[in-house]
Amino acid sequence: MPSSLRARSFVTLALLPALLIFLTFGIVPIIWSAYYGFFDWSGLGALKFVGLDNYEMMLQDPIFWRALKNNLILVASAIIGQVPIALLLALLLLKNSMFNRIIRSAVFMPMVLSTVVVGLIWGYIYQPQFGLLNTMLDMLGLDSWVRAWLSDPKVNMYAVSIPINWANIGPYLVIFIAALQNISSEVNDAAKIDGAVGFRKLFYVTLPIIWDTIIVTIILCISGSLKAFDHVIVMTGGGPAQSTELLATYMYNNSFTVYRYGYGSAVSTMIILISALLIGLNYFITKRRS
Amino acid sequence: MLPMTNASAAGSRSATWRKPFRLLLKLALFLYAIVTLYPLFWLVISAFKSNQDFFNHPFGLPLEWQIENVTRAWELGDMGRAMFNSTLVTISSVVLTIVLGTLAAYAISRFQFKLSGAVKGLFLLGMLIPIHSTLVPLFIFMNKINMLDTYWSLILPYTAFELSIAIFLCIAYMASIPKEVEEAALIDGNGWWGVFGRIILPLCLPVIATVTIIAFLRFWNDFSFALVFINSQALKTLPLSLSLFSDGYGTDYALTMGAMLIAVIPTIVIYLIFQEQIMKGMVAGSVKG
Repeated sequence: MPSSLRARSFVTLALLPALLIFLTFGIVPIIWSAYYGFFDWSGLGALKFVGLDNYEMMLQDPIFWRALKNNLILVASAIIGQVPIALLLALLLLKNSMFNRIIRSAVFMPMVLSTVVVGLIWGYIYQPQFGLLNTMLDMLGLDSWVRAWLSDPKVNMYAVSIPINWANIGPYLVIFIAALQNISSEVNDAAKIDGAVGFRKLFYVTLPIIWDTIIVTIILCISGSLKAFDHVIVMTGGGPAQSTELLATYMYNNSFTVYRYGYGSAVSTMIILISALLIGLNYFITKRRS
Repeated sequence: MLPMTNASAAGSRSATWRKPFRLLLKLALFLYAIVTLYPLFWLVISAFKSNQDFFNHPFGLPLEWQIENVTRAWELGDMGRAMFNSTLVTISSVVLTIVLGTLAAYAISRFQFKLSGAVKGLFLLGMLIPIHSTLVPLFIFMNKINMLDTYWSLILPYTAFELSIAIFLCIAYMASIPKEVEEAALIDGNGWWGVFGRIILPLCLPVIATVTIIAFLRFWNDFSFALVFINSQALKTLPLSLSLFSDGYGTDYALTMGAMLIAVIPTIVIYLIFQEQIMKGMVAGSVKG
């Protein structure tokens, strides 16, 4: 067998299984989902073609908009909470000393826990009668603050966002530390000679240099919010009265609790479209900057 | 000359408060770490309390350390079965991901063929797919081919979604391996499979370790796929069992805490051993959709 032919058969055999699994379970479902989105289907019986009706219904459903708004609350809480805290910690934990390493790995720890465990623990923390939070407020004499954190629609979305932030600070911290450690020592020396120290150095030297990294983390916050699902399913299931519904839980509940597979597929497709839009935006911003 | 003296004067002035300030900062960081770890610590102490103790002293250490919660949860909740399922599904998916991922990465990174760019792009596209958006179509598809409620209904989707990041990391790593090594091996009479198995795989062990660890954590902790694709009690993985456990034994908090402790211990042990790789690997993985 000539060597080019042998190489060709090797490449085919090496690629084929991976490609087959990846296409069947990763890519093709998305095409199917777009297709089913045009049908009314309960999982049983015939598919009924309804054109864009599902999308029209979605845009007219106040719960869809609430889910979208809740996703935006998660994005905002990540940008206000995770990014500054991670950046501050990164600035303080920059050196690779023993102490700093220990603190870093403590901050990262919740990230490796199962989302179900995180959701359940925080469910107990927020539990209205004996939960840690209300007990603590009681002990501090702040009785008026005591409330049903996960069922009061005024606060429950914010309450839900805290464990999600708590669990996801780690990666941002590592990203910022890598970016800060990449700043060359010449830049730091030059800043010192020019008298830029402390906050002045932070705002005029450090932050501008890592600005691209900050943009990247903000984009990660946005795409991360579209991935939020597990914590909410475990803590509230999207309720009560769908007040903590997110796009992903809205899709899940429509498909698997009321069996509107056609509609659920349309919502799935919408999530992909929103995500593609964000990726496009991300590409556009980073392209323009470089 | 003047600015120099100014600078050094400022330096000595700041030196007097720098030390206590540093110490204060360290204390603050330490406190932050304690607060971060507190929910986990609370889980551990609560898992050894009686229900009475759990209600009456939520913050205190157990009055009496009880191991029964854990042993009872293991039996009642069928946690052994769940642990077995999680282990089986996780290991199978990791092995499949590593074998298929390294092979595909090798083919893409070392051979020039017409569609190599397109194939690489396609795999990388997989990193951008929000995985929850595939739940409905995968459910319908696997329902049609009778794959729902089997181990495969988890193993194949897990592998599909992990392949992207695995291939991405392996291609980047293989770029650093000099081609001369393989050419020499080829001349020595090895076929491509021999070169791959005898030369490339051993050289790739570091990146394989990284991929293994992040894949392990993702598969072990996955909730959404198991929730949708698995129905029978005998096939439930740990996170799925836990979520149902808390519904079933809703008022027996100590028992639920015991079950959670069982589920958390393997991940914590692995984290403590491999923290550096996990931190780096998960950052690479978190860019994924």
